[in-house]
Amino acid sequence: MRTRQLLLRSLRYILIGVFVLWILVPVAWVVTLAFKSYAEWRVSYFIPKKPTLDNFIVLFKPEVFTGVMGATAIVEPVTKPLINSILISAFSTILAVIIGFFTAYGASRYNTPGPFGIFFTLLTRMLPPATFVTPIMVYYSSLNLLDQHFGLIVLYSSVTVTYGIWILKGFIDAIPVEWEEAAMLEGASPTRVLFKVVLPLARPGLVVSALFIFLLNWTELLFALVLTNINAVTLPVHISKYVGAVGQLYGPQAALALVGSIIPVVIGYLIQKHLVTGFTFGMVR
Amino acid sequence: MVNRPAPRSIKLLANIPLNLLLFSVLIVPFVLMIYLAFLEWNPASGYDWWKAPITGLTNFKKALEDARFLYSFRLTMIYVVVTVAVEFLLGLALAYLLLEDFPGKKLVIAAVIYPLMLPPVVVATIFYLMFQDYGPINNIFLRSIMGASALNLHWFLRPDTAFITLLIADIWQWTPFIFLIMYSALSAVPKRLVEAAQVLGAGSSTIFWRIRLPLIKPLIIIAVVLRALEAFKVFDYVYIMTGGGPGTSTETVSLYIYRVAIEYHDISYAAAMSLIVLAVIMVVIRAFIWYAFERGE
Amino acid sequence: MGNVNKSRRQFLITLGSSVIALGVGYFLGSVTRPAKEIISTTTKTLTKTVTTTVTATGTPTTTTTTPVAPGLSAVAQRAVAGVKELMDKGVISPGTTLRILHVAGSRANLEKAIELWKQYVPEVNVELITLGQEPDVYNKAMQEAVTKTGSFDVVTIFSTWLGDVVEAGLAKPLDAYYSKYDPGYTGPCAPIEPLGSYTTTYKGKRYALNLDSDVFTLSYRKDLLTNPEYQNEFQAQYGKQLKVPDTWEELIDMAEFFTNLNLTAPSGGKVWGAYFYAEPRFAAYITWLNIFVEAGGILFDLKTMDPKIDSPEGRYAFDIMLKLKPYMPPEAVTASWADLYDKFVKGETVFTAAWPSLTKEAHRPTSAVKDVAGSALMPGVEVEVGGTKKLIRAAPNPVNWVGVVSNYSKYPELGYLFLQFATAPDIGLEMILTGVILDPFRKCWFTEPKYRSKLVQGYGEEFVEVYMQSLGISFPDLLIRGGPEYLAKLTTNVNAVMAGTKDPETALSDTASDWDSITSKYGVDEQLAAWQGLAELFPDDVKSVWKARGYM
Repeated sequence: MRTRQLLLRSLRYILIGVFVLWILVPVAWVVTLAFKSYAEWRVSYFIPKKPTLDNFIVLFKPEVFTGVMGATAIVEPVTKPLINSILISAFSTILAVIIGFFTAYGASRYNTPGPFGIFFTLLTRMLPPATFVTPIMVYYSSLNLLDQHFGLIVLYSSVTVTYGIWILKGFIDAIPVEWEEAAMLEGASPTRVLFKVVLPLARPGLVVSALFIFLLNWTELLFALVLTNINAVTLPVHISKYVGAVGQLYGPQAALALVGSIIPVVIGYLIQKHLVTGFTFGMVR
Repeated sequence: MVNRPAPRSIKLLANIPLNLLLFSVLIVPFVLMIYLAFLEWNPASGYDWWKAPITGLTNFKKALEDARFLYSFRLTMIYVVVTVAVEFLLGLALAYLLLEDFPGKKLVIAAVIYPLMLPPVVVATIFYLMFQDYGPINNIFLRSIMGASALNLHWFLRPDTAFITLLIADIWQWTPFIFLIMYSALSAVPKRLVEAAQVLGAGSSTIFWRIRLPLIKPLIIIAVVLRALEAFKVFDYVYIMTGGGPGTSTETVSLYIYRVAIEYHDISYAAAMSLIVLAVIMVVIRAFIWYAFERGE
Repeated sequence: MGNVNKSRRQFLITLGSSVIALGVGYFLGSVTRPAKEIISTTTKTLTKTVTTTVTATGTPTTTTTTPVAPGLSAVAQRAVAGVKELMDKGVISPGTTLRILHVAGSRANLEKAIELWKQYVPEVNVELITLGQEPDVYNKAMQEAVTKTGSFDVVTIFSTWLGDVVEAGLAKPLDAYYSKYDPGYTGPCAPIEPLGSYTTTYKGKRYALNLDSDVFTLSYRKDLLTNPEYQNEFQAQYGKQLKVPDTWEELIDMAEFFTNLNLTAPSGGKVWGAYFYAEPRFAAYITWLNIFVEAGGILFDLKTMDPKIDSPEGRYAFDIMLKLKPYMPPEAVTASWADLYDKFVKGETVFTAAWPSLTKEAHRPTSAVKDVAGSALMPGVEVEVGGTKKLIRAAPNPVNWVGVVSNYSKYPELGYLFLQFATAPDIGLEMILTGVILDPFRKCWFTEPKYRSKLVQGYGEEFVEVYMQSLGISFPDLLIRGGPEYLAKLTTNVNAVMAGTKDPETALSDTASDWDSITSKYGVDEQLAAWQGLAELFPDDVKSVWKARGYM
């Protein structure tokens, strides 16, 4: 019995190890790629023979390079796109989560927009970008929203709000109604109940859906590519600019992807405890 | 669900912000897209879109006879089914494995969800490089297993292996998504329920299949639906890794629509195909949700 | 009943909120719109008055006697003088910003031009809108044609897109500016013909200024070809001399020979005999088209516009490519266009062909072949013309960047003047030598010693000579409406054949029927007229074969 348990346990760790390895091998490729120079971008080995920091430096100081990258990768420093991405992703996430919360609550408790109603919000995730960008470009240009942070923020919110609605609805469904009823009996208004009872209880759900929405916005390329020019350029658009006469500049692209992932990694790490307690009002009703 | 009419304030909060957002941002372009599908127009046609001739259902008929469109549609369906199924199974397995506490778990989770932090374009580039003939997949990993014959494997040269590389990239990046939802949900199943079952003599596998899993079903459905929707739009992997090749054998529907809209300059036709795709996914997803949620009610 | 009421209320709420939303939208729109319209109409009237005064006087206004910027070429001086005049007239004010939409690869080139521009015209800022991929530029340009926002003044495009950009109403006709400012398109320093004309003209009007040339040359490993040991061995095996191949057939033998030698490059990779484009994303058509044209093929019937690719010449082109396939790395069929560069620069291919930038890359200090990369004309095809055999050589000129002025720009004249400045004989040479993706297009750069010496520094003596000859045998991309679309369908089919998923016969007939439907989309008569004009611009040797075969 004991040995069997031991076996099972070690099997479990082995499986976890295999899984982590499967995830880490491509990650290792990005990391090592970021330290490789042009001659080593298309090779079979991981560890660069001549490690270089050029790919990182070129992101911030494009003008100091000669050779392959200097001749082709003179792109603006990454600072502005980085700030843009933070602003746009943050505000659109907040907006989408707040709106998603209200709608999810209504749908969960009173079936307000009807199941068909919130089903239709899924439509926003089905819009094929390639054909949708032209109409949205026409519309935005008539509203003067092209290359504006605000334009991207509301667009991102409206195509990600469905994540907020559906994930939060799952959470709110799990919160016992009795607690709200009790508060109501004590004379609290429905909005007061919403903000004082439901909101704190649903906080983990808000965090989880916010993480997903943030990640979607943080990595979105196609809309940003079409709707921005100079002012509101985001990080993924900036990554796509590292192209030269020798094709994609994989090194700087990998470096920028790493730099760009720092913020979501930190966020993800900070909210881990919420992920665990997230659904504690567990599935019992 | 509460069995009384919603208070006015809740109704306003639940409806107004959402509708305000969706209607002010999306409805005009969406209607415009539908309108475009009934025209014969593209930016290079030399006249403005509101002056374009209306061609009725021509574009839709053309799409239903377009073998390349139908093929790409079918391929995308296979893609969605395979990736979502594998991601679901792997994500669930991983969530199950990580349920128990052990030292370093926080770090393991942080590592496991890292793929979500990378833009799909970058992920596509990584797998593009890794699966090339000069890349590490053949030269390091498969070579250590299969020997020198691994070097004769040209992943992108054959339709089936090229398609597999796409599946692998998708599964690599998005299994963490399913995992994250499953893991949060599973670890939230109340301990007392589990303990009660243990007292009654249920084995750990019975507890998992009979208690934990049924409890988190709604979130599983949501995760699968959301993932399937994203998988249906797959673009970056195909565009960067195979370019739809060899020939058009790995061309997914969104790549074909992109090509029609941008390379073949036929926005109207692309819009018509998009609407067909939209309608089909909507029906499929709706049926799935009905089957999963509302059937028994 | 209650339910109905409920859903009605629901509907009303939804409707109400949407009406509010639309209201807000229109409010926003109406707040911002008029200002913009006023600006655009004022600038329109302003430019109009300028042009009318010019046509009224009938003489170019640029006959300034004192040079505004000593040391500059006349073309650049006229541009600078033009800007000063625009400022004097108040058409533009100091501090005006000009915006240029372009692809990332040309950023270094344009930065150089801007740096020089700033020395002479510090009052006008130039800002770059950079996009990573060529299709992104196309997409954004076409969307500008629809939305008319004026978010950029100048755009650099593939010459292949010119027809589309003009038909979309984005490109401003430049004939008036050409005659007013004279960009140096005649005389000894003009862009090399026919390239200079076919890349800038659409339906008989000028819409663009040349920024680039993109003619293919053959790159090869000199050290391997001149190695006596290999020469003897090749002689023994094939009974022929090992030399720079004149025909594709010769090249096949040599590619086979070198592939079978199983040499290892310094990088550790295998050395392949050949690498010619067959990749799925966009370049596969180039190799096929080159062989097809050299074999005497013509893309469309000059009387009916029927595709003529499903022909012996088309099958011949596939035949050559398939014979080469075993000696090419699989990446030729699967990887992106840039992998060709990587392989050659690492010394992993013997024969390859690409844009002039390949030579620049091959001669960089980090290149493994920097001292041994040779350049030659593209291999040819031996064709029977009137009973005698004749070697036909041609070289493709795929894509080719040109500059276009937006119709919706507030300062179109200023945009044109920047382009004229940037492409002037002196500034233009500095520009192409600074970056990587733009290449020489003016004749005097090859002939006049003061320019040629600079060009030789950048490209090497051998390449400059080969490239000038190549320009002379270059043939245009399919520069008619829908050109990129025709070529994209061809690329897909060529790639399928090379991957073995389609046989050449089916690929050719599929392409032909695809092309038929593209032609009918744009109208047979109109496409035919454009094609007839374009066909005239093919190299004389090719046209002589067409005539002998009754195609022309």
